[in-house]
Amino acid sequence: GLTPQPPRSCEDYWWEWRHCRGLPHAFRHYYAHGSLPACGRWREDYEACRAWESSRAAAAQVPPPRSSPLMEKQKHAAVWTLRKSPPPDWYLPLDQGKPN
Amino acid sequence: TVFNDRHFSCENCDGCVSGGFDSATSQIVLCQNNIRHQSHMNRVVTHELIHAFDHCRAHVDWFKNVKHLACSEIRAANLSGDCTLMNEIARFKFGLKGHHQTCVRDRAIRSILAVRKVSKETAEKAVDEVFDACFNDLEPFGRIPHSKTDAKRAYRDFQNRDRYNANL
Repeated sequence: GLTPQPPRSCEDYWWEWRHCRGLPHAFRHYYAHGSLPACGRWREDYEACRAWESSRAAAAQVPPPRSSPLMEKQKHAAVWTLRKSPPPDWYLPLDQGKPN
Repeated sequence: TVFNDRHFSCENCDGCVSGGFDSATSQIVLCQNNIRHQSHMNRVVTHELIHAFDHCRAHVDWFKNVKHLACSEIRAANLSGDCTLMNEIARFKFGLKGHHQTCVRDRAIRSILAVRKVSKETAEKAVDEVFDACFNDLEPFGRIPHSKTDAKRAYRDFQNRDRYNANL
């Protein structure tokens, strides 16, 4: 069977790799996390994306999606339970007569 | 969805508070007498929208569960730009390696103490217990939006989310 389309366009992977390796991002990552960013995975994903585009064959190894925020979240126990819909009063009009 | 005329209220506030989120009415309050610069406004709106987002997507017990409050405050401080290097320098708080996390932790504790009658130890304990999970919860951005470029990229990811989710 056909391998699925990569989750991002190849241009997006390339952009993320270039952005990751730039000095401003490296500085911000060091400031936020205390270490320099690991950017290799973006380049690997880009190469795999191009390979998928070139061959569109089962032989082209499409990488699993880059560790996404969804996957990162699952490493930590959830603090709260998610809703299935917004709170019931989210869209209800307010009482405009409330004092300021 | 958030609507300006339903979910925002511009009011005069006491002290030097910049804004808040009222979970009872699902409304963001912006303190018009204490916000004087566009950059500050951007930051306050983003901060309170994180709270509104959390209220909309999860059962957050704002009043009885300090860990829930702590989690939202960690996220708001992390993702709003509250803790940029320049903002911290302006507060005479100096640090570089991983200082963003120090700032997020401290500001989350301060925010809890400002809105709840709990001890500093209780606030610190709550923040420390949920810090890893909540600091790494980057919804809805998927990344810490350090710059306009990051924010635009996050929005682009959101616009392409169907393609992304189809692959998972």
